[in-house]
Amino acid sequence: MIKRIAVALLLVAGTQLYAQNKVDDVKTFTLKNGMKFLVLEDNSIPNANMYLFYSVGSRNEHPGITGLSHFFEHMMFNGAKKYGPKQFDRTMEFNGGANNAYTTENVTVYTDWFPANAMETMFDLESDRIANLAIDPKYVDSEREVVLSERSTGLENSPWRTLGEMVSATAYVEHPYGWSVIGYEEDIKNWTKQDLEYYFKTYYAPNNCTVVVSGNVKLAEVKRLAEKYMEPIPAQAPAPKVHLVEPPQTGERRITVQKQVNAPYMMIAYHVPESKSKDYYALDILSSVLTSGNSSRLYTSLVDEKQLATSIFSRYGESFDPTLFQFYISSNKGKSLDEVEKTVYAELEKIAKEGITQNELQKIKNQKLMEFYSSIETIDGKSNSLGTYELFFGDYKKMFSAPDEYAKVSLDDVKRVANTYFKKSNRTVGVLKANVEE
Amino acid sequence: MMLPFLLLAVSINITNAQEAFKVPAYQKFILKNGLTIYLMEQHEVPTISLAAVIPAGAIYDGQKNGLAALTADGLQYGTKSYTKSEIEKQLDFLGASLNTSASKESANLSAKFAKVDQDKVLPIIKEVLLHPVFNQQEFDKEKARGLQELERAKESPRNVMGNYWDKFIYGEHPYANPTSGKPSTITNINTSDLKAFYQSNYHPNGSAITLVGDFNAKLMKEKITKLFGEWKKGSENSMKITMPEALPTKSRVLLVNKEDARETTMYIGGKGISRNNPDYVAIEVVNTVLGGRFTSWLNDELRVNSGLTYGANSRFAALKNAGTFYVSTFTATKTTEPTVDKALEVLKKLREKGMDEETLTSAKNYVKGQFPPDYETSSQLASLLTQMFWYGFDESYINNFQVNVDGLTSAKAKEIVAKYFPADNLQFLFIGKSADIKSIVEKYGPVTEKQIKTDGY
Repeated sequence: MIKRIAVALLLVAGTQLYAQNKVDDVKTFTLKNGMKFLVLEDNSIPNANMYLFYSVGSRNEHPGITGLSHFFEHMMFNGAKKYGPKQFDRTMEFNGGANNAYTTENVTVYTDWFPANAMETMFDLESDRIANLAIDPKYVDSEREVVLSERSTGLENSPWRTLGEMVSATAYVEHPYGWSVIGYEEDIKNWTKQDLEYYFKTYYAPNNCTVVVSGNVKLAEVKRLAEKYMEPIPAQAPAPKVHLVEPPQTGERRITVQKQVNAPYMMIAYHVPESKSKDYYALDILSSVLTSGNSSRLYTSLVDEKQLATSIFSRYGESFDPTLFQFYISSNKGKSLDEVEKTVYAELEKIAKEGITQNELQKIKNQKLMEFYSSIETIDGKSNSLGTYELFFGDYKKMFSAPDEYAKVSLDDVKRVANTYFKKSNRTVGVLKANVEE
Repeated sequence: MMLPFLLLAVSINITNAQEAFKVPAYQKFILKNGLTIYLMEQHEVPTISLAAVIPAGAIYDGQKNGLAALTADGLQYGTKSYTKSEIEKQLDFLGASLNTSASKESANLSAKFAKVDQDKVLPIIKEVLLHPVFNQQEFDKEKARGLQELERAKESPRNVMGNYWDKFIYGEHPYANPTSGKPSTITNINTSDLKAFYQSNYHPNGSAITLVGDFNAKLMKEKITKLFGEWKKGSENSMKITMPEALPTKSRVLLVNKEDARETTMYIGGKGISRNNPDYVAIEVVNTVLGGRFTSWLNDELRVNSGLTYGANSRFAALKNAGTFYVSTFTATKTTEPTVDKALEVLKKLREKGMDEETLTSAKNYVKGQFPPDYETSSQLASLLTQMFWYGFDESYINNFQVNVDGLTSAKAKEIVAKYFPADNLQFLFIGKSADIKSIVEKYGPVTEKQIKTDGY
């Protein structure tokens, strides 16, 4: 038999444990046009990467141009001044590099992975499109079709896409987090070249971008190339603030969606604060206590003991504005959805009343430390984490102090946030099922 | 538009100047019971990754599709000394991960844990591998969940394309066995089947365990020898995996009807290669041009030029004794026909015109440049070592990778295209709305139609 382990010692050694990467290893500089660079030298493989974080996402849109941030991400690959249509990808791949990009509600991130000695080419390519993107109507039209296919294949292959869109649309009545990143189908078909040009000028400014470079590079060389390629690009007036604030929810909301599925899918979403909030770490711990691993509370009760569901997970992602804490439940065929809901609420109430145990708190802290190790094991993990902490938590240094921030969270903190946010009046419940007429 | 010549020349030199990526030092030894062990020290983070491979995959299922997968899952349903819940609680508490699963050919175990926890985690892994009890109650719960997951998988074409394809191509050969089984077979499997499958297939001889991470190899060797030395040698499974039969010499179409489909998901291809094919690297380079990267001809034509799809690619799925090749894409139901025709055009272009020198150089630079990040973490390296064991290649695959890629000439690339990329008798798999696309797909060959809701693949 395994003995219960007394409150363990994993975190005691603090930052010494991961001496492999220290906060001082990250170097920063800011160009005259406001573009900020984070550089982490790491010669474990002969490769490097460049992550460009633009502070623009679907929260910066309004009805009529929903999905434009994501569409713009696609357009960034369709030609600029020096490198015309198709040349961005062709040149990058010829030089051994690969790239991708992603758009969220908050940010648009461009990721380049390349042999370290191709870095100058990366700067040349990236600076060309930031300085002089060409918006060719021919490519706008064919890209609309690509994005419609992306939207469609998401809805075809994932029930969560369909349900998640409806839950967000219900939970938010004013804030732009209410529409999906991919946007409304009719907006995708109808936005104009002027919309794109405005977007480019406003958001694709060097002062709206943070660049992270990790890998087998030298700081001095990154700086030289940044000054050569990026610094001449003029800064722009700061982008308009997102002024919409979601009003407090004052009663439970419910939504049903039809899709041909074998057993219902359910989402339960609570309004919670943004990443910079003091409650972030306690809420994140709560998310792990509830659904991380088979020993978590909701997996144990819902999936293992009562067999009301076949899987459950939760999500509390990084955000600039107050966001949602969401549960995703695949219900077990033939089981009562009321029972599913009751079981979830009972577990949440139990925490609100009794809190979590010291053992659980230590478990989550141990898990967070292992997650941290994983994130610094690759140069991609390093760049992505550094950029994420810089943008969402206000300082890349918080990546290194995160284990300490989790360590500071007390049992009372966890109980308090459970009480504050997991209330009936604050939740939205969505169900996706085949038969919606019963 | 072509790239200016100067840029080309410079880039080639730069890329070649890059230091070749080598497999870090490791040691390999065999225990008395026949178990092969690989140890590699990596000190970047204070964690250890473990991977194990056992010849107990779905090819040994016989008529009981899903048996290998349930057995691999079942390793964690409790052991001689620990209940399932105790294993989970202990590992979760430590932030450690443990996965057991079956693939087509082998059963695999992977784990990751903090260096300081090795003496808590390794004994659990040993128990899981050597002394599982296949608890009835845990099995019943998992089986019920598994049956649901099988039904759910069919809600998403992407999840089940591979199973339909393998059945379509491999026919009655064990390579056609769907790893997760099907409802009709899973329903009849019981713990006695798992125990019997474990007894006949889980032996140290024929298996390997690799550890990569922050440890002292000398001490780890003693520890591992002690822990796994007591695993009793067994006799190999007598079932021999034969070579699959040749494909029929005509095109065929398998149409899987999904009544609520909004798009058509498709594979087009045929016979592929086995993993030990001496031309493996060269084939990968050529496939990069056809469908292995963003600027590949398939993605360029079907996505960038025509907006028919969000993505198109091609790949060789290689196993020990055989493999398949396929072009993979999806499109709105109404654009099914132009998408298939364009994909066929691209394949034809490769066959008939081949590629120019610049395109080949670009593909070579690309595969070399993207290679090192595949072997960056301890888990990736542990997995590489188990693959070396399983497929019988050694570190020269990694260490000579650049040289082998550089050695691919235009003439050789032409031979590769002619020899490995199918032109005739193509096989077509579609999942989509039959009422709308049946008359279209008939054009490509005699159609067999299945309903996605029907049991199996």
